[in-house]
Amino acid sequence: MHIVTFAFATAISYVLAVVSSLIFPVLGAPGVSALYVAAAIYVPLGIWMGLWGCMAGYISCFFLGLYPSGYSLVQSFVWSWADFIEAFVPALIYRALKADLDFTVKRPRAAKLLPLFVSSGSIFLLLGIAIQVLWGATYGEPFTTIYAAMVYIGTALAAVGIILGLLAGNARTWMAQILSIIGAGLCSGLWGAGTLTIFNFPPPLPAELFWPVFIGWVLGDFIVLSVISTALLVALTPVFKRTGLLVRGWWA
Amino acid sequence: MPTILGELAGIEAKSKRYMGLHVLAKIVIPLSISLSLPFAKEPPQALALVAVSAAACVAAGIPLSAVKKYVAVIVSMSAFIVLAFSLFTYIPGRVLYEATLWKVQAEKGVFEWKIAVTDASLSYSAAFIFRIFAMILSATLLLASVTDRDLVWGFFSLRMPFGVCVAASLFFRGIHLFVSDFYTIREAMSARGVDFERTPLAKRFMLYANALTPLLSLMITRSYEVSMALESRGIAPGSRSASGYHLYRMRRSDYAAVAAGIALTLAFVAWGG
Repeated sequence: MHIVTFAFATAISYVLAVVSSLIFPVLGAPGVSALYVAAAIYVPLGIWMGLWGCMAGYISCFFLGLYPSGYSLVQSFVWSWADFIEAFVPALIYRALKADLDFTVKRPRAAKLLPLFVSSGSIFLLLGIAIQVLWGATYGEPFTTIYAAMVYIGTALAAVGIILGLLAGNARTWMAQILSIIGAGLCSGLWGAGTLTIFNFPPPLPAELFWPVFIGWVLGDFIVLSVISTALLVALTPVFKRTGLLVRGWWA
Repeated sequence: MPTILGELAGIEAKSKRYMGLHVLAKIVIPLSISLSLPFAKEPPQALALVAVSAAACVAAGIPLSAVKKYVAVIVSMSAFIVLAFSLFTYIPGRVLYEATLWKVQAEKGVFEWKIAVTDASLSYSAAFIFRIFAMILSATLLLASVTDRDLVWGFFSLRMPFGVCVAASLFFRGIHLFVSDFYTIREAMSARGVDFERTPLAKRFMLYANALTPLLSLMITRSYEVSMALESRGIAPGSRSASGYHLYRMRRSDYAAVAAGIALTLAFVAWGG
């Protein structure tokens, strides 16, 4: 049943990937979406079904790379590992923290506010770091002040989000979920934007476009993972447990 | 049997001779174009690769108008590439146009953000844009000539386990099933009073996002039914086929196509390496 679910989930992810990259494109970077809804399918699937979910992410992204993005076979083969990583990081975090998949919500308001604070906090942090790397390190003031302000605001917002997460329900589970959202977005963004601009055979875009693509990628992932993916985890984890699809290790 | 791109966008290779090639040969040709791409660094090399890709598409009977399906990709990427080489970086060369957009007196010097178009930046942009065409034509050649049956038969001929063959087949069937499930759920939502036409975009997005929960539930139910059907036929994921209804062997023309692909890559390695 795992193979069949994996095949169907890959198909769903592919359709959603195509739709997201057409409706919410990051202009100039085909296949990159500012709201990549497909991630909401294969990332929870990685948490539920281990490497099956990661493979669903990889294969759907591979076909997305070929059509409608138009990357060559080799470019798509390299680039698609971004979605494998995106599903693998949360699966790894949940397994490393031995977090129980208990998404029972004790305080619904805290659970609703959690994505807002974690996403906005992470976005401020990311933009602050980008400003410092691109201009602050070379030119100093006023860029360093902007960087410091954004890092302080971002950290404060993310900290509020983490506290809300701890209040929402099982503290370890929600902490794993917050770390998963941030880790998956950043790691897949690094690989995805990197293989589009810096290292591939050849990169389809110039290296100068790394930061715009990376920021677009990570912003989209934070929003989708915190809003849709978290909602799916809450709603469907009992179904996966009941049907025996839940994988405790990496394979079944 | 429609090809992958035939099902997705209605574009198919028309040449019977090309479609009669072994799946390995049909994969090796676009793969060799893809492997030649890193060596097409200068505009003439990239242009030559575009010509080769276009010739391969024509030989396969794929209309070059298929590129129209990628027009948004070509326009957006080209614009982005030109912007990257004129707005985000300065490529030294003969300056054709220069304008300062923003100037700030910073602590360690003056920060200037300017548009600078040089002959070298135009040359870089041209190479990147030609490569996009080659890249898109190679992807079109692959997807417009390979059918899902080709892939499944290919896996069978490689003695892959049934699990892999069934998963490949179900992936392509799953695309249609998902789309039909989506319309069913959309109609159910409309029957309950949701007016998609008049709903604002942000709210519509959330409505569609909410539809993912029943869609995934349906997927699990369908997976259960399909896996039961497979089990009842005695198909285990790890079992392998001892024989098949279809003989899928490489012929002389397939070996010739593979050799041509390898020769193309080697030629570009020698030219641009």
